[in-house]
Amino acid sequence: MKKILLSVLLSAPLWVLGQGFQVNLQGQKQIGMAGAGSALALDEASVFFNPGAVSFLEKNSISAGVNPLLFKSAFQRTGSNVTEEVKNKIAPPFEFYAVWGPKSNKWKLGLGVYTPFGGLVDWGDNWSGKYALTSLNLKAIYFQPTLSVKITDRIGIGAGFVYNHGDVNLQRALPVNFPDGHSGHVTLEGTGSGYGWNAGIYINTLSNITFAVVHKSKVNTKLNDGTATFDVPQSLKTSFPDGNTFNAELPLPSTTTLGIGVPLSQSTTLAFDASWVQWRVYKELAFDYAINTSALADTKSARNYRDGSSFKLGINHQASDKFALRAGVGYAFTPVQNGYVTPEAPDADRYILSAGAGYSFTSKFEVNASFFFEDVKSRKQKNIETGLDGTFKTLVYAPGISLTYKW
Amino acid sequence: MVGESHMKKYILNSFLAAVVLFAASCKPEIDTVVGNSAGQANFSKYIAVGNSLTSGFADGGLYLEGQKVAYPNLIAAQMTTVGGGSFTSPFFTDAQANGSGYLTLSALVNGSPTLIPVTNNLAVRDASGRLTKYTGEVQNLGIPGMRVDLAFAAPFGAANPYLERLLTDTQVGTVSYFQFIQGRSHTFFSLWLGNNDALGYATNGGVTTDATNVLTDKSTFALLYSNLVNALTAGGQKGVVATIPDVTSIPYFNTVTVAALLNAAKAINPAAAAIYIQTGAGAVRTATAEDLIRLPFQSAGLFGVPNASGLPYGLHPLNPIANNWVLDKDEIIKVKDYVISYNSTIKSLADSKGLAIADTYSYLNQVKTGLVIQGVGINSAFITGGAFSLDGVHLTPRGNAVIANVFIDAINGKYGSNIPTVDITQYRGVKFPN
Repeated sequence: MKKILLSVLLSAPLWVLGQGFQVNLQGQKQIGMAGAGSALALDEASVFFNPGAVSFLEKNSISAGVNPLLFKSAFQRTGSNVTEEVKNKIAPPFEFYAVWGPKSNKWKLGLGVYTPFGGLVDWGDNWSGKYALTSLNLKAIYFQPTLSVKITDRIGIGAGFVYNHGDVNLQRALPVNFPDGHSGHVTLEGTGSGYGWNAGIYINTLSNITFAVVHKSKVNTKLNDGTATFDVPQSLKTSFPDGNTFNAELPLPSTTTLGIGVPLSQSTTLAFDASWVQWRVYKELAFDYAINTSALADTKSARNYRDGSSFKLGINHQASDKFALRAGVGYAFTPVQNGYVTPEAPDADRYILSAGAGYSFTSKFEVNASFFFEDVKSRKQKNIETGLDGTFKTLVYAPGISLTYKW
Repeated sequence: MVGESHMKKYILNSFLAAVVLFAASCKPEIDTVVGNSAGQANFSKYIAVGNSLTSGFADGGLYLEGQKVAYPNLIAAQMTTVGGGSFTSPFFTDAQANGSGYLTLSALVNGSPTLIPVTNNLAVRDASGRLTKYTGEVQNLGIPGMRVDLAFAAPFGAANPYLERLLTDTQVGTVSYFQFIQGRSHTFFSLWLGNNDALGYATNGGVTTDATNVLTDKSTFALLYSNLVNALTAGGQKGVVATIPDVTSIPYFNTVTVAALLNAAKAINPAAAAIYIQTGAGAVRTATAEDLIRLPFQSAGLFGVPNASGLPYGLHPLNPIANNWVLDKDEIIKVKDYVISYNSTIKSLADSKGLAIADTYSYLNQVKTGLVIQGVGINSAFITGGAFSLDGVHLTPRGNAVIANVFIDAINGKYGSNIPTVDITQYRGVKFPN
């Protein structure tokens, strides 16, 4: 007789990207300098930091590194005396670079494989924000073949094509209960791809102060036919059918960086990078489900990001022929406006501190290590969409190491 | 080079020291600002006075799971961080955990619920339906069916099985609820009573047949409510009183709508043009969206059934839906007016005594339009809304958690205490069958 519609049962899962997903770990030397270095032709990581500087590298080289990252986030619900923390999970941002060109020629080829965006947060299945998110594992791996050309003895330009392979696994609890009282759960999992480019110019002035202008384009990553798995009581299966899929789009933002390198002495160089991250492209996040039901509609969630920015200052000191020491400080302004902070990326303005060291065992073999620390400011927020109301505080720790072979 | 190896060591050591230092301070800290002050209140002995909502009644019955998550029990648990003591409730035993029996959702057929009663492990002690006695200290004094007027009627202790079970044999029929709640040396109280003084009338379709469905006279309500407040504050105790929700804010009156009935009728007979009701004034007329039909009508098996003359029930002026199934437009106006009057009594008495006011009237009106709290959408839709249990009147555990926070916010606001609020995500809505 009477139909009870399940139409207002649930708002569908959400997914957000933040500054928190921008991973600033793309080269051990630069990491040791807080991520500055676009205006330095330091090493093969210039493929990422400034393709224009690649042609100024003296040697051919190949390197690989990893920065196990611990994202320690805590949440205290407004009105509560309990602080909840994410589980300790290690995300593995990595980087691989190769640079090759005929000696004393004006051009070099480069290849970079790196992880400029990613996130790994696991709040557990029963925390107070579980209906907004339980866990997110997001990885964007950029593949970037690059050509760099010295157009004069003091100016280099370079550009690379970027292919992104993205992986996402997002989970949250659903506020429907099984007969034993436990909540439903949804897992959205998929892979996607996108394309973009990375281009830069490197200028070495007569005073040997260097300048860089680098633009990394937006990479609109499309996820098609991701799997949407709803773990709900059997009686709700018609509303949340098995075998459902979804499409979504993730606009990974463009970044424009201005860099300056200042040689303080024969052995010491200062690097400063100012970056402008055009997050404003991230207006909304839409999920398009293959199968819609009265309880499961496609969703469009407002994100309304503004542009973010960061300022990084690093120093590289060649203590001896074999030893180098590095340190850096930085500050980043969040793109996430008030009311839009989420547990996926509990973002706020942040301080960056870093240190690093390098050692050349031989003229061909080099090892570099770094330690990267971010202090994301405490932020009390009530999310407009989910009503999640509380204070987030995050610390990020990432030690790293890389091996380089040069010839 | 000596210097170099020395330096190497130095650098390595500093690096290691830095790592250790970071690891030690690894944990992000957030200052805790609540859970450390009772303010001007004393929560060492809290008692909760009220009706079914206070007792934890849900899904059409009183049973152990519901008792454990009754809003006063949730509040009491939160009070322990600010000097709250133990809180005792007349829990049914595990062996009789299903108490009075209750409804479960056994299936959703094309979105329509099938509700079946739980009849095992009951705490029924005799054929007349009386419940297993509970002896011992009780601080959750909620009695399903209790009203402000009947709180002063000693015979009600014999008629109401929930009060009867808490009274000694000699008290039954001689001790009123008003007497029963006194002498408990409480330091703090909550009082959420009066719902049934309006709801009893409304859920009987605006028809008065006995003392449980009469609409309590406004001035009688004011007098008796002030007696209750005076008794509870006799020792200068502080407390919180709650307003009475608008009866039309609950799923009981918003699920079986006139439009839904008409659609169902049209599906069978496209010529069906109107639903006919008998009003409280005795008239028969076409029903409109302003008339509310009681939830149990959907399973009453009456609608559309032809009478002896072959006229389908509710679809013909000569066989209208009976008065007791419908809270018609005029009855709604009447009951709303009484609720507003009761609430103005409650608020002015609370103000005169300096008590906190949990304005559940306003809050449940917000729930009716829908709220999103900690990622959970809550509204007053039947079954799917998450706040109301399967009887369409009483709260789910999630609803209790939400209401507990309305009380806690009111208490903290009035007395400068900072009782931590309840994490509502730890409490369920309706259980869906597998």
